[in-house]
Amino acid sequence: MKKTRFRKFLEDFYLVLTLLFLYAPIVVMMVLSFNGSKSRSQWGGFTFEWYRHMFESASIVEALYNTLLIAFLSALIATVLGTAAALGIGSMKKVTKSVYMGVNNIPMLNSDIVTGISLMLMFIAFGVSLGFKTILLAHISFNVPYVLLSVMPKLKQTSRSTYEAALDLGAEPVTAFFKVVFPDIMPGVLSGFLMAFTMSLDDFIITHFTRGAGINTLSTLIYSEVRRGIRPTMYALSTVIFVTVLTLLLIANFSPAKHPSRSDGGAGAALTRKAPGGNSFQRFVLIAAAFLVVAGVSGVTWQHLTASASDELYVYNWGEYIDESVIDRFTEETGIQVTYDLFETNEEMYPVIEAGAVRYDVVCPSDYMIQRMAENELLAEINFDNVPNIANIGPEYMEWSRAFDPDNLYSVPYTWGTVGIIYNTKRIEELGVPAPTKWADLWDERYAGEILMQDSVRDAFTVALKRLGYSLNSTDPAELREAADLLLAQKPLVQAYVVDQVRDKMLNGEAAVGVIYSGELLYLREEAEALGLDYELEYVVPEEGTNIWIDSWVIPYNARNKENAEKWINFLCRPDIAKKNFEYITYATPNFAARWILDEDQRRDPDVFPDLTQMTNSEVYRYLGTEAEDRYNELWKEIKAQ
Amino acid sequence: MNSKKVRWLAAPYGLWMAGFIVIPLLMIFFYGLTDRNGAFTLSNLFSIAAPEHMKALILSLLLSAVSTVICLIVAYPLALILRSRNIGKGGLMVFIFILPMWMNFLLRTMAWQTLLERNGVINALLAALRLPPIAIINTPAAIVLGMVYNFLPFMILPVYNALAKIGDDVINAAKDLGADERQVLIRILMPLSVPGIVSGITMVFVPALTTFVISNLLGGSKILLIGNVIEQEFTRGSNWNLGAGLSMVLMVFILLSMALLGRYDKSGEGGAF
Repeated sequence: MKKTRFRKFLEDFYLVLTLLFLYAPIVVMMVLSFNGSKSRSQWGGFTFEWYRHMFESASIVEALYNTLLIAFLSALIATVLGTAAALGIGSMKKVTKSVYMGVNNIPMLNSDIVTGISLMLMFIAFGVSLGFKTILLAHISFNVPYVLLSVMPKLKQTSRSTYEAALDLGAEPVTAFFKVVFPDIMPGVLSGFLMAFTMSLDDFIITHFTRGAGINTLSTLIYSEVRRGIRPTMYALSTVIFVTVLTLLLIANFSPAKHPSRSDGGAGAALTRKAPGGNSFQRFVLIAAAFLVVAGVSGVTWQHLTASASDELYVYNWGEYIDESVIDRFTEETGIQVTYDLFETNEEMYPVIEAGAVRYDVVCPSDYMIQRMAENELLAEINFDNVPNIANIGPEYMEWSRAFDPDNLYSVPYTWGTVGIIYNTKRIEELGVPAPTKWADLWDERYAGEILMQDSVRDAFTVALKRLGYSLNSTDPAELREAADLLLAQKPLVQAYVVDQVRDKMLNGEAAVGVIYSGELLYLREEAEALGLDYELEYVVPEEGTNIWIDSWVIPYNARNKENAEKWINFLCRPDIAKKNFEYITYATPNFAARWILDEDQRRDPDVFPDLTQMTNSEVYRYLGTEAEDRYNELWKEIKAQ
Repeated sequence: MNSKKVRWLAAPYGLWMAGFIVIPLLMIFFYGLTDRNGAFTLSNLFSIAAPEHMKALILSLLLSAVSTVICLIVAYPLALILRSRNIGKGGLMVFIFILPMWMNFLLRTMAWQTLLERNGVINALLAALRLPPIAIINTPAAIVLGMVYNFLPFMILPVYNALAKIGDDVINAAKDLGADERQVLIRILMPLSVPGIVSGITMVFVPALTTFVISNLLGGSKILLIGNVIEQEFTRGSNWNLGAGLSMVLMVFILLSMALLGRYDKSGEGGAF
């Protein structure tokens, strides 16, 4: 085909443009991995800090091992299973064949969320405890179809007669298969393996629903970090993975080719079409596989070495809700091995405990959820004889806890705080609006496009209900309707509904005002100072009153290590430990003794430690029952769908 | 080898499919057709007609259709270029289009947020060039962009595979018979690549239809897609029955895609992988 210069230029231009589009976010990640600041849009100087942190962080190293091991094992098993199936299906009758192919297509075409949830429902129904093996099983299931679809076309091209010739010449069927058929379908098998590996590596949703205690892959680890802002360590890790893969690929591609492969059709074709590309691709897969076997084996050994203790404790907590060194210290002092696992929302945690899919020993839910768990008899009474440090918890917090735990039987407060408005002083000056003092200010039209609301039903309704002067635990349909109408009217002014991204967005100057948990303030102030921002972020508890929330430790009814759980709670109530946690989490601690040893200005900070006796119009969330919850959810969906 | 014996090689996977595809699917049906107390009901299915669900579904269909069309428009010329240049570097070139998938999906999407934000990278570049800023973050346009970005490889691969399969001699024959380049494209290349196109369309449309992560991260959660509704019923609303019921409705669209795929691609040859 002859081409004009101009046309060639256009083609090149188009290729470069597409590549630019595909690689722009990756370049951004690479740049951010060297950013001295945690913020995603402020440059804080060049640093290798995140790379150092990456190799030091046990949780990241473990997640990386899990990810690679699961990807490798699931791809390998799927390849064997899929290749065998492809051979079998190839010699099937038409009807059986189409049934096989139809069912095989389901995981590819079904949405990930349905696949993930359906597997989770099944594992729970059959009492399979969620963990490494359930992720592996799930990954194999969605990987086989890719292998099958890549081997089938290859198989179709192999001619039966060569195989039969081999048999005629006296070869055993097995020998004939491996000597004659297998080399022909090899490119398809390899590209199936690679596709399976890639899909497993990239999966988040299915892993999210099928994983269990103490197991994270990179995806789930990253997702749990979205809650409090992604640490640049993750960017560093992605950069390392990317550069490794790219290097392997280039080595494989530029080493001299020996023999050209012949093929077309299937992905094998895409990747192996004509030499030397095809050959190099195969070599790449082999190098990558060898690399991963080494990684996998060392991973298994490592897991084996670290998981040998018999005295154990299963902890289920919010993401980024503890100083990791505290866990190590606990193990050091008590000899109890901790399996630590994370959840994102109370609602996500609840069914896991209810179904007993994973038997946790100690969990940290919020107020209203503790009430719901207690009402449904999912909690065990804490033996306070084993928790002498409860004396360090301020009596007023035990008193507030009575709203959801009337006799103080089940829970020990861990953190608490208020919900309020954060604002950017410079931005509101530019807009010419006075500083907000009440929820009603969030309906001021001058804030159009500058408001960040909380993306959670109860918190969003709190804003409207409190503005109207109703209780934030209202179940009255008329009051809720009124609140929903207010939120609908507010929606055009809202920039985004976010959960924890409020912090990043406020730091980046994306919005003027946002609804935020008081616990984020200290972190925000530190970051703002570190970034040297030219504006200040101020916090206000609105006049109409707000939500006082308390997250507390509880012990599920089916805990296997109840005494260890009590040791854990007692340990966390120790002043020095509570102080360490406070400094890491920055959410207010109910631990009086710990507060006493904080810095003067922190201890007296009225935003972090407001005077609860003055907050008479504020309330703690109560569990409202399924009927009321459904009403809230219906209305919230109506608002979001508008 | 005896073809009856060979058939048994598919048995392990048959069992596997029964255990890990069919039974989980039945679980969804079970939840979708019962209420919280375990009594049979169709209300979970019919609730798709509720205005907020209908709105979310229509918007999802619209956005994923737009994304699919854009993916096709971007991928087809690209696949043609790749086809015409595959000698020597074809393997590498195609590999480069899969490579981004080795970076975590969530991180890639977060990175787009960084690019598109009001004070983001793109606006900083535009400001440096003295151009007006763009404001597409938290709009449907940003969601479409996220979908196109994440699912484009699923369109490129099958289309490229279908095109790569067409031998040069077929094209030369057409040319010998007097076809110009346009005619070759429209009457030879396009019809022969239909299985790849159909498979690409399904592989982009289905995940785009059901996504919830992209709309959360790039839509500022202001835009509710049907995937978000389902996800929230499972993770926040605690109404698994409703979530399962809505998933069953979504499966109708998936079945339609499968039927379409089966019609144009009888033997799975247009498969991407």
